[in-house]
Amino acid sequence: MHLEGSPSMTQTKPSPGLFKRNPPIVGEAEAIESAKNGDAEAFSKLYALHKRRVYTLCLRMLGNVSEAEDMTQEAFLHLFRKIGSFRGESAFSTWLHRLTVNLVLMHLRKKGLQLVSLEETINPSEEDAPKRDFGSRDPQLSGSVDRVALERAVGSLPPGYRMVFVLHDVEGFEHNEIATMLECSTGNSKSQLHKARLKLRELLRQTEHLPELKEAVQ
Amino acid sequence: MNDGGASLDLNTMTPSQFEEHLPELFATHNGRISDDPAFSSFLNHHPDCAALVRDLEYIAEAARSLLEPAQAEPSDAVWNSIQGKLKIAAAGDEP
Repeated sequence: MHLEGSPSMTQTKPSPGLFKRNPPIVGEAEAIESAKNGDAEAFSKLYALHKRRVYTLCLRMLGNVSEAEDMTQEAFLHLFRKIGSFRGESAFSTWLHRLTVNLVLMHLRKKGLQLVSLEETINPSEEDAPKRDFGSRDPQLSGSVDRVALERAVGSLPPGYRMVFVLHDVEGFEHNEIATMLECSTGNSKSQLHKARLKLRELLRQTEHLPELKEAVQ
Repeated sequence: MNDGGASLDLNTMTPSQFEEHLPELFATHNGRISDDPAFSSFLNHHPDCAALVRDLEYIAEAARSLLEPAQAEPSDAVWNSIQGKLKIAAAGDEP
């Protein structure tokens, strides 16, 4: 995977949606400019501002605390080396998240996915796939929110489903961006996302948390 | 299907056919189908489809709340290690 100059690292098409979801943080712009000039204090500030989001992203993608910490470290070391190439054409956090996603994917490929396309390997086994129980339930739902239950359900998704769900529904990447990053088709990204949501529905229904989820977003 | 559902005949579509088209429909309708008047009649006639759409929309919407991280954060060892590696790199750059 090429991090520099690859389609997923270019800033030619900023996404207004991502700007909206990643508004500038007070003091961030100054810290970025200072960090570009080698100011260690400014870099420390950027770490403090973004460590939780980067770590959470790594943890969601990897499902492992130790690996997530390693990749958080790698992401910020990479950031330190490459921050000079940030031109502000997208939100800094969007740029940093993209950098992190690419590093995590490269890490996963190094672990054993090099010889097989991710499109093939992200498909879960039969038992992990969402069951087709269309029309088998009472459509009426009511209740209250439970973010913890959703987080837990996302964590229990098969890796391929989880990857696409986190990238699309949580991080806000478009299907064509995900397809580029995962080296799969946009159709596959859409399909994986749909299966992920179906699986989450199934998992949340098992724990009777979907009613709670519904009320939370109303 | 590549037309985002524009040519779908919702009058004759079965629930299982509808579900087959859902990934593309969500993608081309910005993740919201239940608000689209074009689907209101079909969803009114197929409450199970309506429930499915509603649940999946709720899940997608709730997922956005996960962008803001929970309290979990990397241990202090991560920052210490980053600092150590940057110092080594800086020392290596010095003449």
